[in-house]
Amino acid sequence: MAPALPGRAKSDLMKRYTKLILLTLITLVSCREVLEPQPVDLLVDQLALNEPADVETVRIGLYSSLRGMAAPMIIAGDFTADYIQHNGTFTDYRELGTKQITAANGAVSALWSAMYRTIYVANFIIERLPEVSGVRDQTRRQVLAEARFMRGFAYFVGAHTYGAVPKVTNTDQTANRNIGRTPKAEILAFALEDYQAALADAPDEAASAAYVSKNVVRAALARYYLYQKNWAQAEQFATQVIDSKAYTLESDYQTIVTADFTDESILEVGYTVSDDPGTSTFGLNNILVGRREVIPSNQVVVALISPEAGTRRSTITFNSQQLKGSDNGWTVRKYGSADEDNNNIVLFRLAEMYLIRAEARAQLGRLSGANGALADLNVLRNRASVTALTSGSQADILSAIERERIYELAFEGHRWYDLVRTGRAQAVMTAFSPNWNSRYELWPVPQSEIQRNPALKGNQNPGY
Amino acid sequence: MNNYYPKILGILLLLLILPGQLLAQGRRISGRVTSAQDGSSIPGVNVVVRGTTQGVSTDADGNYTITVPGDNAVLLFTSIGLVPQEITVGNRTTINLQMQEAVNELAQVVVTGYNTAQKKDITGSIASVSSERFKEIPIASFDQALQGQAAGVQVTQSSGTPGGGITVRVRGNTSISASNRPLFIVDGVPVEDGALSGRDFGGQSDNAFSLINPNDIESIQILKDASAKAIYGSRAANGVVLVTTKRGKTNQKTTFTAEAQRGLTDVVKRPDLLNSAELLELQREAVINAGENPDRLGLIKGITDGINTDWVDAILRKGVYQQYQVSATGGNERTRFYLSGNFRDEEGVQLNNRFTRYTGSLNLDHKATSQLSFGTNLTLARAKNKRVKGDNFLDGVYSAAVKSLPYYSPYNEQGKLYAPNDANYPGFPNFNPVAQAVLPRFDTYSVKILGGLYAEYEFIQNLRLRSKVSIDYNNVTEDNFEPSSTAIGGFLPSVGGKGYGVFINQNLSTFINSNTLTYNTILAGKHRLNGMLGLEVLQRTQVSGNLQGRLFPSDDFTYITSAGIVDNGSSARLNSGLLSTFGEIRYDYDERYLATITARYDGSSRFGRSRRFGFFPSASLAWRISGEKFMERFRFLNDLKLRTSFGYTGNERIGDFQFLGTWAAVTYSGASGTGPAALANATLQWERTREANIGLDASFFNGRLNVTFDAYSNLTDNLLFAEPIPVTTGFGSVQGNIGSVSNKGMELTISTVNIDRVIRWNTDLNLSRNINRVEELASEEPLFRGYTANGVTGTNVIVPGQPLGTFWGLKFLGVDPATGDAIYEDKNDDGRISPDDAQIIGTAQPKLFGGLTNRITWKGFDLSVFFQFSYGNKVLNMSNTSFINNGADLESNQTRKAMQRWQKPGDITSVPRYVYQNTYNNYHSSRFLEDGSYLRLKNLTFGYNLDKRWVSRVKASSARIFVSGTNLWTLTRYTGSDPEVSTLDGSTAAQGIDFFTFPQIRTAMVGLTVSF
Repeated sequence: MAPALPGRAKSDLMKRYTKLILLTLITLVSCREVLEPQPVDLLVDQLALNEPADVETVRIGLYSSLRGMAAPMIIAGDFTADYIQHNGTFTDYRELGTKQITAANGAVSALWSAMYRTIYVANFIIERLPEVSGVRDQTRRQVLAEARFMRGFAYFVGAHTYGAVPKVTNTDQTANRNIGRTPKAEILAFALEDYQAALADAPDEAASAAYVSKNVVRAALARYYLYQKNWAQAEQFATQVIDSKAYTLESDYQTIVTADFTDESILEVGYTVSDDPGTSTFGLNNILVGRREVIPSNQVVVALISPEAGTRRSTITFNSQQLKGSDNGWTVRKYGSADEDNNNIVLFRLAEMYLIRAEARAQLGRLSGANGALADLNVLRNRASVTALTSGSQADILSAIERERIYELAFEGHRWYDLVRTGRAQAVMTAFSPNWNSRYELWPVPQSEIQRNPALKGNQNPGY
Repeated sequence: MNNYYPKILGILLLLLILPGQLLAQGRRISGRVTSAQDGSSIPGVNVVVRGTTQGVSTDADGNYTITVPGDNAVLLFTSIGLVPQEITVGNRTTINLQMQEAVNELAQVVVTGYNTAQKKDITGSIASVSSERFKEIPIASFDQALQGQAAGVQVTQSSGTPGGGITVRVRGNTSISASNRPLFIVDGVPVEDGALSGRDFGGQSDNAFSLINPNDIESIQILKDASAKAIYGSRAANGVVLVTTKRGKTNQKTTFTAEAQRGLTDVVKRPDLLNSAELLELQREAVINAGENPDRLGLIKGITDGINTDWVDAILRKGVYQQYQVSATGGNERTRFYLSGNFRDEEGVQLNNRFTRYTGSLNLDHKATSQLSFGTNLTLARAKNKRVKGDNFLDGVYSAAVKSLPYYSPYNEQGKLYAPNDANYPGFPNFNPVAQAVLPRFDTYSVKILGGLYAEYEFIQNLRLRSKVSIDYNNVTEDNFEPSSTAIGGFLPSVGGKGYGVFINQNLSTFINSNTLTYNTILAGKHRLNGMLGLEVLQRTQVSGNLQGRLFPSDDFTYITSAGIVDNGSSARLNSGLLSTFGEIRYDYDERYLATITARYDGSSRFGRSRRFGFFPSASLAWRISGEKFMERFRFLNDLKLRTSFGYTGNERIGDFQFLGTWAAVTYSGASGTGPAALANATLQWERTREANIGLDASFFNGRLNVTFDAYSNLTDNLLFAEPIPVTTGFGSVQGNIGSVSNKGMELTISTVNIDRVIRWNTDLNLSRNINRVEELASEEPLFRGYTANGVTGTNVIVPGQPLGTFWGLKFLGVDPATGDAIYEDKNDDGRISPDDAQIIGTAQPKLFGGLTNRITWKGFDLSVFFQFSYGNKVLNMSNTSFINNGADLESNQTRKAMQRWQKPGDITSVPRYVYQNTYNNYHSSRFLEDGSYLRLKNLTFGYNLDKRWVSRVKASSARIFVSGTNLWTLTRYTGSDPEVSTLDGSTAAQGIDFFTFPQIRTAMVGLTVSF
């Protein structure tokens, strides 16, 4: 091969360089595409709430977080008490069923997490919404009222479930990582402030029982004061809700069991068939009907099928095929199954308002007559096709109200809270389970929270 | 970014100009050096013009170009370990040369990533596994082939599921939350690893590698230290596994090979469970101990135990394994090819479980001119996997069968399977395992196309630009239906009770363009220089969609088009990318003093702008002691090389968009909105591993004894970690770079030829010891992993000072002879047993693991015996929390050991008494932790190569028959079915848990290989 001419070699080289440069350029162009792909299913933080159109989506997010609290709340209210027996394999439910609840229980941390997630979204809205320009004043006031209601409700549930809990009032990450417990009374006072603020700005009527209205706040206040034993206030707010005529009792109790959005529903968190919690660990229809992880305890079965319960026995159903071993064959029906589209969880309904008023009046000594406890009680007994009560001592009537709350509100998350607030927990629960201990009048603070939050170290509820 | 590109460009140009200055006058000779033994190309052979200092060394493909003064010039080809040759040029312009091996193994060619080298020139730590080692073991995927074959590589098959998941770890676990998998590269393409399917079946997933035919693989290299790995920068921290497929050889006549294998499979061991009468006695005792009447609970003697079903027998069978392959390979000076087609079919031991695969591959290389060559590699695969549920799924097959009460029967009197509405249906929680195996359709179809095109051009003598474009395309479809006669489809009202269909399609494709510029030269006769510079773009796209349908009109309609309700549908796309430059300079003086510098600069889409780019350098030095004058008297020593390396590698596999603070879509009562999803961390960055390695390669007695020893100390910091934070912040965790993990260890590989006469006996031994330790975490608080368990927060824990894979639980002290209750250590002395009393109870990390292979050949016969072992690791026998549940519930069968329970005061036993619904005795404790050490006869192959004279009568060139068995014998103290187990397939922090996991299978097969 002859030696190449220097000139030609050079031009050859130039050509090659050009090719190389081109190659590099092609790569350069695609750099952005390669290194900065955009997520398709996520919204970056800063964009979550910065223009009027975002308000509605974040509001739905707020309700969605409230919905997250609902199932664990029912689990706290009913599974901690004497309504259920364990029939499955999950440790969490075995602990609840056999009354051997530990701080490591999954339901215990599920409610705690859901509660603080709700508080986070509420605080986020309370902090950010005032700064978003262009939002209609009415919308702004309404959404702020909803946020404050949710926060108040979360703290109300938290205080009665865990006692003293950390009081989180902002979205500051550093401060909220190391935050101690605030006494129960202070938490409840804070919840009351939120309720009162919400009452001022909540809309008179909501689009459906899935959303907050003034009556929802009143119903929450009625329950709040009932738990506080402030009978006069409890009676007053319950009366306001009843007298608003916004709700009417369903004539057939079975409707309460099988349908969503009944005429007496004040607030219920909504699912559709397609976002049903399905087989999730805390999906009520999965736990109660699908897996039958827990089944109604024998004594709640006895109560619900007693003549005094009347049509409310439709809360549970019996299947002889399932009767074997320790399984009594009964199933809770209030949350349907995944395809029945009956998966909404009712947080407040009219019947509870009658029961609150009856209890408040009975406690105030107003037993009979048109404005007496018996009248309210008989409204519900009448609907359930049970004979009316005509007289009784205050103690008799209070006891009748306790029974009536079982019939009417079974598996709606009230029982444990009722037993604890009326001081009946020890008597009822020791009879139910040999493992019962007075420490179970409060749930433990989740083990994981104590480990992660230095300010909670050594501050577990007594006995756990 | 803008400042960065001109720099690269500058370097590239400089490299182009530099050699331009070196253009010398004379005649250009080019050629290729190949091995006389097997025709493969040999890199790194010195080609020097005799009497001058002018020389080059051969490149990755054995190519060289050199300028000689004239026809009389003589070329000297030398390389340690090869017989030197002198060639007079004459009037030729192409000189191809075959060289003979002088010393066993030294000239072995090792793939080093973007380059290849002879083993003797390697300064880093690389292990090689040739296809000889696994070609007669019936493995479904090549990762399995690494088990027990390479020091420092720990391989665990998660279960005996065909085509199932396998865990590969190179030099320990480096990460808590990011991937711990090595980077797997097949013919230059980082292929999809782990599970492909979007559906997990209770813990056991599928394996993407089962779509690559191991018989098409030529060799596998495992890059282990920083020097070897740093060329892969941000993805290299967990080691790199390079797979090279078979290619045609130069000047080889076309050979056709047909192979057939056929065999039977069975589980290694069945659990020893109770029969009806025994179980009933035990359950009645538990109920009586709880003060209740067993008759009232339906536990009636003579009635309840009227049926006695062995469920495990009912769902197991002997599976048939078969594999057939036809291949053709050959080549001339210019074109080489390899073509193969393979069919593999493995019947699972569980009823209805089956893995079937078709693969084909074509590799082609063509040398168009002395400067230009190009080629392609192409692999096509299609598999059908009939899966069954297992492990953590109550409605699994094996997992449910082992627990199922013997009181029920799978079939009614008419031989029909019991279904949910039948009176005698076993029901929740174990259903009818036989029906669960036979009735559902869990078909997974997967398709893989792995293809690449490359061209290489020699611009200037020995300066070559190679550009390769490849794709790895994977498509997986889950075609699932569970009829109303199954648990999900019919028993659980939460899904409607009228059939349940799932359809998932996932498309995973990677596009990669790699460009490398290489240059080889020898300066002043003894300074050998080898440089490489590269630029690479990688883009991965994942598009997926799924649908679930319920309420089918009847079981005749099994596709979602007929479903009454279609819900939980979703579709998504995910892109990620990597843009990198990398380079390598190898230098040696007289093959005595060697140095390598490697670095990669990576940009990844997985990190925020401020931390998008990372630099990963490494350097290594080696000293060939045997090349020194003073060593000449040790004639028995052929080679002795001391090497050391130091460098940094990274791990970017943390999932996408983790650095963003995000809100995701949520629903409420038919409306859509957004809810908080994750907290932002703009400074999220790679995990970085600092690696130091010191090693020794020695070859004695003409290659009959080869020893490689390595010791390393690695520290991974900036751990990618979802730091758990109190949920009072609104979130449970935040992504951060917190903490560090160290891996220190030693590896020893010895291969010997013990006898080399008529009988040839050789032995390969590898031993590895790795000490893994979490050095530092965000807080001292234990982080729980694995499962939640009775009475403790989790089965596994991550705490500083302990290795990853540490088990957590109560410490079981024994059974109180007076009461029969379990005694646990009250660690905090508060007088009660609570989750706070839990403590570290052991680790899944072995103290030592390795493999031993002995091969003996005599005339046409050969015998290969391969043992593999793991020593010092614990296995959590979590199945026993059900199998020996002390009466916590009456819903599962018990093992024979349960019969040793405490019954009356004074009984001395390790099994607490049975009390119905008492969970205390069944708390998660060290009682369930067992020694998982094992020694296993992994494979035994006995073969016979037919005499050439007989073979040639049928016009064949060779024929071989063999019998082979895997998992034939195991020595272990583990009481479960199999100590090689991991229910959480691929998990690091919760490895080594047995939770109704389907045990490994034993295979016995015969094979026939004929070549023409």
